Amino acid sequence: MRLKRSLAGIAALAVLLAACSSGASDEAAEETSTDTSTEVAGEIPATDLYIVMAQYTDAMQPYFDDLAARFMEQYPQVNAEVEVVNWEQLNDKLATLVATGQAPDIANSNVFANFAADGLLYPAEDIVSPEVLADIVPAFLDNSKYDGVAYAVPDLASARAMFYNKEIFEQAGITTPPTTWSELETAAAAIKANVPGVFPYGIPLGPEEAQAEFMIWGGGNGGNVYQDGAWAINSAENVETMEFLKKMVDAGYTQPNPATTNRTEVFQLFGEGKIAMVNGSVFFPSVLADQGSTVEFGTGAFPHNDGKSSITLGVQDYFFGFKKEGNQAAVKAFMDFIYVPDNYLGFLEAAGGFIPATVSAGAQAANDPAIGPFIDLLPGAIFYPGDLANWPAVQTELQQKVGLALNDAPGVLGQIQALAEQG
Amino acid sequence: MSNLKYRPDGKFRTPPLGPLPWIAPSLILIATWVFWPAFEMVRTSFREVSRSGLILGYVGLENYSDLIARPELVTIFARTFLWVGTIVFFTAIISLPLASLLNQKFPGLTVVRWFIILPWAASVFSTALTFRWMLNGYYGFFNTLLVDLRIIDEPIDWLGYPTVALAWMVAVAVFVSLPFTSFVLLAGLQTIPNEVREAAQVDGASPWRTYWRIVFPLLRPALLVALVINLINVFNNFPIIWVMTQGGPGNSTDVTTTFMYKLAFRMQEMGQSAALATFNFVIIFMFILLFLRVSGWNKKDEN
Repeated sequence: MRLKRSLAGIAALAVLLAACSSGASDEAAEETSTDTSTEVAGEIPATDLYIVMAQYTDAMQPYFDDLAARFMEQYPQVNAEVEVVNWEQLNDKLATLVATGQAPDIANSNVFANFAADGLLYPAEDIVSPEVLADIVPAFLDNSKYDGVAYAVPDLASARAMFYNKEIFEQAGITTPPTTWSELETAAAAIKANVPGVFPYGIPLGPEEAQAEFMIWGGGNGGNVYQDGAWAINSAENVETMEFLKKMVDAGYTQPNPATTNRTEVFQLFGEGKIAMVNGSVFFPSVLADQGSTVEFGTGAFPHNDGKSSITLGVQDYFFGFKKEGNQAAVKAFMDFIYVPDNYLGFLEAAGGFIPATVSAGAQAANDPAIGPFIDLLPGAIFYPGDLANWPAVQTELQQKVGLALNDAPGVLGQIQALAEQG
Repeated sequence: MSNLKYRPDGKFRTPPLGPLPWIAPSLILIATWVFWPAFEMVRTSFREVSRSGLILGYVGLENYSDLIARPELVTIFARTFLWVGTIVFFTAIISLPLASLLNQKFPGLTVVRWFIILPWAASVFSTALTFRWMLNGYYGFFNTLLVDLRIIDEPIDWLGYPTVALAWMVAVAVFVSLPFTSFVLLAGLQTIPNEVREAAQVDGASPWRTYWRIVFPLLRPALLVALVINLINVFNNFPIIWVMTQGGPGNSTDVTTTFMYKLAFRMQEMGQSAALATFNFVIIFMFILLFLRVSGWNKKDEN
């Protein structure tokens, strides 16, 4: 009994302490806003650089170890340590580092706006030279802005295309890949009738990557998640799109239960010749090769609604530099070092078949048969609204819920829209 | 015990620090690894944490009101209680006969005991992962088996429908909870002296009646302890749901622990997540009080 009372007492004390200390101010927010904007780039002081990079492939850590070693040969007063972190942990790790006051000097991720919104990042022009900045593909740089200022430098990008199984198309008597929704329905019906055991179109609306699938289909109907300066998740176009997808599901033109199917499963089924069409990224061929798949595939533009135009989804990632006293010159030197043409090509090679973010490297990649077709699709690309601080939260909501919109498009999309508008 | 306080000459002796030197190490451990994190958690629930992880200051009860305003919260709490209740109930129902079985002498008893311990020895994470693959809608073992036996025509996406998925996850949770519960009950059974049963038999009671009138009442303290510990374990359980469905589709299989994780690491609402954790902490605390009461009542009864 006594133990019970003292436990209760301690718990009450904890609550009380927490409530009391709310008077004390928090310095963390002020500390980080230290102004370090102007520094002479010529003289680099002795600096420790802690750099967190994304693990596109297993080749990243060796690449960066080599890069850092060569960098330190050139700038012996700088100590650069690169940690490559896998994608599943990357954003949690960055958030934890920032929250505990151990923010890295340079980071690489698919989101940056949340850090920019808190005033933690250097503007892009402070972390790379004007020559490097001028070489970045303008559309990518536009997507690196927060509140009109670029706070990140794009590192690479990818784009999507429709992959189709040539053999299944042949068996079903389809000569050209469908370009519109009605052609798609005709093709799907032909596959369903002539090739048993095959799902015509794989639609992964499970949490792994539902937001991409949703934006690709919505984009083909003139929809987007953010349009004309406002969230547009439950726009008439998007609602119509989900209702079209529902029709596809009901007709048996897709795998059953898209709301819980993840991209990995759909890729697997495509690789086994059990799905005829899927949305695939520029790196999808290497996934198929790893799987040992022998499927002969072709690529084409995504089908669009009649009267609308075809789009692709562009996805880009970022480098960004955290403001810390005295680190700017070293950060800039390291960033410029990455974009030295040979180093940057090495980065792209290690990352494995992505679209370069620079004009110069892009010109070279355009001749690459694996990447060229995707670069051709880019002018019609829509992008995630990565410049909005709450996009990561909205993306989560889409991943979790958009599959349920198959059954109740206005209701579910409306819920996600409401969350997005809360900011 | 009290005679230790006196020296041989009969004078009263006070140890300079009392029992402190002996309990200090554990007190320090508890303070550092239990109370301090709990305190930080409660503190975070009164603070605003920006999306990138910066602490922006105190906001009073705002995190709590934002959390309560979430439309999915009520259902998640209701599901959590249903989830915990169902698992604890079925675990007890299955463990009682299982413990009696293990209490018998039969050839291969040791082997059977080992097999029943297995799910306890395996990590919950890998058990859940194994079940997830067995239940996979396209390649799963269950689907292959049922299709080959012509029980179903085409594969079923077991984890794709909220109710079916929950039922399977309850089954996995019961499977994982059985070893602990049945061994606690087995220990309880072995404390019951054989004379009591023999006396009942001599009086002509049927085995069924002996069990319900003699054995079960004597087993009750052990059962209660097992129930409450299960209650706490299941309530805090995270890996089964996270591995098998991630709380999906949507939030339709989320419980408070998985939703807490989503709030913090997916939706970047650290403050609201801490608020929900505080709610959970209060509920767990009541379970612990219940446990202390149950085990205290147990002791009094023995005396």
